[in-house]
Amino acid sequence: MTLTKKDVRKFLSEYKIVALLIVIAIIWVFFGYLTYDSELGGSQFLTPRNFSNLLRQMAITGMLASAMVFVIVAGEIDLSVGSLLGLLGGIAAVLDVTYSWPLWATIVLVIAMGLFFGLMVGWLTAYLGIPSFIVTLGGQLAFRGMVLGLTGGITIAPVSPDLKFIGQGYLPELVGDAGGVLLFLVLVFLAFRTRMNRQKHNLAVSTMPAEVGRLLFAGLIILGFVLTLNDYQGVPVPVLVLLIILAVFTIIGNKTTFGRHIYAVGSNMEATRLSGVNVAYVKMMVFALMGLMCAFAGLTTTARLAAGTPSAGFGNELDAIASCFIGGTSMRGGVGSVSGALVGAVIMASLDNGMSMMGIDTFWQQIVKGIILVAAVYMDIVSSGNQRG
Amino acid sequence: MSDYLLEMHDITKDFNGVKAIDGIHLQVRRGECVGLCGENGAGKSTLMKVLSAVYPYGTWSGQILWEGKELKARNIRETEEAGIVIIHQELMMVPHLTVAENIFLGSEPRNKAGFIDYDLMNAQAEKLMARLKMSDINVALPVYNYSGGKQQLVEIAKALNKNAKLLILDEPTSALTTAETKTLLDLIKEFKANGMACVYISHKLDEVAEIADTVTVIRDGTHIGTQPMAELDTNKIITMMVGREMKNLFPREAHTIGDVVFEAKNISCWDVTNRERKVVDNVSFEIRKGEILGVAGLVGAGRTELACKLFGCWNGDHEGRIFLDGTEISVRAPRDAVRLGICMVPEDRKRHGIVPLMGVGYNITMSVLKRYTSGGFIQSEAELAEIQNQIIRMKVKTAEPLLPIASLSGGNQQKAVVAKMLLPEPKVLILDEPTRGIDVGAKYEIYKLIFELAKQGVAVLMISSEMPEVLGIADRVLVMGEGKLRGNFVNEGLTQEKVLAAAIGQPTTDDGLKLSLHKNAGA
Repeated sequence: MTLTKKDVRKFLSEYKIVALLIVIAIIWVFFGYLTYDSELGGSQFLTPRNFSNLLRQMAITGMLASAMVFVIVAGEIDLSVGSLLGLLGGIAAVLDVTYSWPLWATIVLVIAMGLFFGLMVGWLTAYLGIPSFIVTLGGQLAFRGMVLGLTGGITIAPVSPDLKFIGQGYLPELVGDAGGVLLFLVLVFLAFRTRMNRQKHNLAVSTMPAEVGRLLFAGLIILGFVLTLNDYQGVPVPVLVLLIILAVFTIIGNKTTFGRHIYAVGSNMEATRLSGVNVAYVKMMVFALMGLMCAFAGLTTTARLAAGTPSAGFGNELDAIASCFIGGTSMRGGVGSVSGALVGAVIMASLDNGMSMMGIDTFWQQIVKGIILVAAVYMDIVSSGNQRG
Repeated sequence: MSDYLLEMHDITKDFNGVKAIDGIHLQVRRGECVGLCGENGAGKSTLMKVLSAVYPYGTWSGQILWEGKELKARNIRETEEAGIVIIHQELMMVPHLTVAENIFLGSEPRNKAGFIDYDLMNAQAEKLMARLKMSDINVALPVYNYSGGKQQLVEIAKALNKNAKLLILDEPTSALTTAETKTLLDLIKEFKANGMACVYISHKLDEVAEIADTVTVIRDGTHIGTQPMAELDTNKIITMMVGREMKNLFPREAHTIGDVVFEAKNISCWDVTNRERKVVDNVSFEIRKGEILGVAGLVGAGRTELACKLFGCWNGDHEGRIFLDGTEISVRAPRDAVRLGICMVPEDRKRHGIVPLMGVGYNITMSVLKRYTSGGFIQSEAELAEIQNQIIRMKVKTAEPLLPIASLSGGNQQKAVVAKMLLPEPKVLILDEPTRGIDVGAKYEIYKLIFELAKQGVAVLMISSEMPEVLGIADRVLVMGEGKLRGNFVNEGLTQEKVLAAAIGQPTTDDGLKLSLHKNAGA
């Protein structure tokens, strides 16, 4: 059997995520090779410690990208998330440091503020009809201004150990193991429930060996993931949060009417409205989710830095948007997945991490990331055959 | 060697092994008009894309002879230079450019300094418009000021400017009024007399019968036959197209008409941009259970606007009261209408009907997705089972239930949109031009469905510009003109002439028409 170029192209466009995982593998092998050091006994990039670091670094971008996917899929854009993250992180720092609020109260208020600002942006866009590009460009300026006003332009530190745990803590080994086992059991349960339901409705089901094989494969990945992280210090708390977000958002996207409507609105808003869907509400709630994720990312940022800084989150919106596009989200709306965006975030973080490790100047890092973004989207266009004449 | 301007021999084009067209022949003489007929998806567009080199030489097999020599064009530019110009079904105008700028788009005359020579361009554009007897068009105004019909003629001016020897018209009249259609057909006859050849693609077979000298029919990508029009009539063409005799275009079935279910009182709508202009003017009507109410009228009579208002999607100002089952209802948005049991299949399928990137199935369940949820989560299996039921029931031809709907043919897209609007089990179903641009077979199925619904007691309001369709389907016919309700006829012994006369709002005699036109002009 010969594989033609066409077959490869078809395979890659159908399993976009596989193509992205291959890209990650290439990047990791590349940096693994370049950071090989015989004196230290191996590659510096491919170590459990660096794997753990890399995931922690991508967590914040990942949180933003998870919600940004829905914003872009709905046919909108949000340029204000970096500033909003800074503002919410700043509020968390002030409550924690200056007013010594208990952690739960800080979290509740920051989340409420995130939802509030998200809803506001969504309302201005969806109900008043101001283009989201404009609303969020304004938001970017205004929120950053509020951060500066709130912090007085200085760093607010040190935050309480409780708050720090959110950004810097690790799960004990045992909890990580238990979580892995639990996740595996949930997957098994879901797979068999789906099977039964499909049989009930007389739909085709895959063969038993294929099903078991797939589950075993998933189990191996979970096992490898948990063991690798436990080999360093355990699963980092932000990574756990991100994984939960990934699960919840994937379910929202695939299994709820709200999720379905997001994709419909982005693909053809008028037809969706005429089908009896409240499109303005859908759009507003997408921005509310974005605000919520800004709250999560803001808390994590402040916790990770152990301080509220006026420049926190600067430029993060661009990383989040770039992750979405690298992960196969369509600029025109209607297409994209949370898992894709997170893989995009891993690619960005791997580049950052690998180049930093090799001591490459920051300016080169930015140039390379820019080129990778453009190249990734071009690959996407080529593989889906959407080239313009 | 031959007297043919164009000869296409044994053209075959496949997509990933699936043959879209297989061994098609097409020959066109100078000064001849060839009608190209076939159902949607038969391969007409593919054939024309081969001819105009949208699919360049080498991506298909067969031979094209142009003026006796083999044509190996690699792109549209080369075919246009040869003199083959295609006018697409959807207008390809840039709305904010002027008429002249559109005509000369890509071939702007330049002065010595390299800038566009506007004086020359406008003068030439005016000459072209005069040739088309359209001197009243101001070529320096943006194209969006003119109606679809006028824009169609601007397209033709553009083709003339390219010195077209062969004009390909793909469904040119689907958005034109009767008068505009006549102007267009007359023009084509004139071009023919001057030696220009044309290929005319249309579902409107009476138009084909009027202007075509030869008719070529293709079905499922294969060549069915080529015959002089003189030996054919529309029924014979239909038989060739569908491959079976269609004795009765309208499968009338008896259905009982019950009590009044829906009432609209004093409905008025105003234009969205020009808020002084009334587009629907004080229209009242009622519709009964199991009744099929046709709404006839010329394009621009306000029928779509009326439907929009009833469905809660009219964006301009509006007033009027709506009653369902005797109680007044308030419909502020389509979702109110759907919830109360009023559904609408919109006129513009592409813009308002389908969500293109989504699967056929997900399009179908869009309005009632909540039904397949439990605890807030979609039960994919229950949904998929319903989707398969609907696909079978509506005979939607799709390889997979979740294939993006954009990849289906127009008729199958329409069936899916209708299925979507039937799932909420409406009491009143509004169909706005339900058979526009779909093939004969799909039309027939939609008609059958309408009767089935009427039997079940659904009140159907069907807006249509195809008069035979209204007369063949409806129990009662409303006629609209200039936003007003100008007729409400029981469909017994009703004729096209009578409906048209009511639509224009004039007595049928020519004298009366002239008299009142004169009066209007004076007012």
